[in-house]
Amino acid sequence: MEGNPLRLTCDSASALVPGFLDGELSEEQSSSVRAHLLDCPACREVAKGEQVLKRWFIDEPIPDAPAGFAARVSRRAFAGDPGVLVPVAGHSSESSVLPFVLRLTAAAAALLLMLAATMHVRSRSAGGDELRAEDLDAVWAEIYDLEGESPARYWDDDPAADSGKGAARDR
Amino acid sequence: MNTLVMEQPAQNDAALVQETLEGNQLSFQLLVERYQDRIFGLARHYTRNAVELEDLVQDTFIKAYHRLETFQHQSSFSTWLYRIAVNTCLDFLKRRGRNPVQTVEDPELIETSSPGRGAGSLGSPDAALEREEIVQVTHEALEELPEIFRTVLVLREFEEMAYQDIADLLGISIGTVESRLFRARARFKEAVLRLHPEFGQDGR
Repeated sequence: MEGNPLRLTCDSASALVPGFLDGELSEEQSSSVRAHLLDCPACREVAKGEQVLKRWFIDEPIPDAPAGFAARVSRRAFAGDPGVLVPVAGHSSESSVLPFVLRLTAAAAALLLMLAATMHVRSRSAGGDELRAEDLDAVWAEIYDLEGESPARYWDDDPAADSGKGAARDR
Repeated sequence: MNTLVMEQPAQNDAALVQETLEGNQLSFQLLVERYQDRIFGLARHYTRNAVELEDLVQDTFIKAYHRLETFQHQSSFSTWLYRIAVNTCLDFLKRRGRNPVQTVEDPELIETSSPGRGAGSLGSPDAALEREEIVQVTHEALEELPEIFRTVLVLREFEEMAYQDIADLLGISIGTVESRLFRARARFKEAVLRLHPEFGQDGR
């Protein structure tokens, strides 16, 4: 088998290169990739690129566990410590602030809604709506004057009821 | 305490697990001592902060203790423990709110340039950089990767795990390991070149 490896296309060989470099291919596949790389400069470049990549993955020395780490951990475990993970440095405050801000925003929105409703009731009882409707009608009239068009063109049926409809539409 | 521990005859993991379950604190301590370096080695790829690192490792072992009854001996204890460690690290990053775990079905993740050819030409770090600088650049680039990619890359390139072991640990198929590695390497190259364009082969 070694002397007669399966011939690979460039696409097939390129796909196998990572596994080849990781030592994950069967002997037969490795022989085929090796043979292809010897024959094909383009795929050899691909393999070189992958090989170069591995040089970035150099390991640092593993930091020593603190003195007494294993004893401390096993003591904690046997003491029933639930092992709730790790307050994240510099981020725990964010996670605790967000719910508070959301609750505050909701409360403020509710307060504003109540305030708006109260003002609405008061203004209705004081006839404020009618005043505003009249003002609005005056504005509409000015617009129609400027455009030279009659309000009746926009509001069908009873022209006399136009102002009322306009007011109703805006309520 | 450590001297006492060192004088114990070597026991296999299964025996230590059994003794721990029977309430022997020292047996669990032995398990921690046996694997603490490896878990520290894994977790440091997820944080550079020494306090966070220690917390991550500690939580890994405490979780392992609480779940020890669920260990079925179907995989090795080390694989089982690694799985807990990886999940603890991923939970940690998720809680941190940075670079959340994304699924491979995410179209953005699927749509990536072809590794090797299209991902740019990353040069070799050897000539220009000190070892510490390479480590720093690599860590920066790893931090840019979605967690599913960072994890397979760490397990393969630093922990030197076989594809099958990675698949077992993450509960995915070998094909998925291969495709994630494929994309992870492309993303890693892109990240290094984006963060440090001077390391492109044309720039050297």
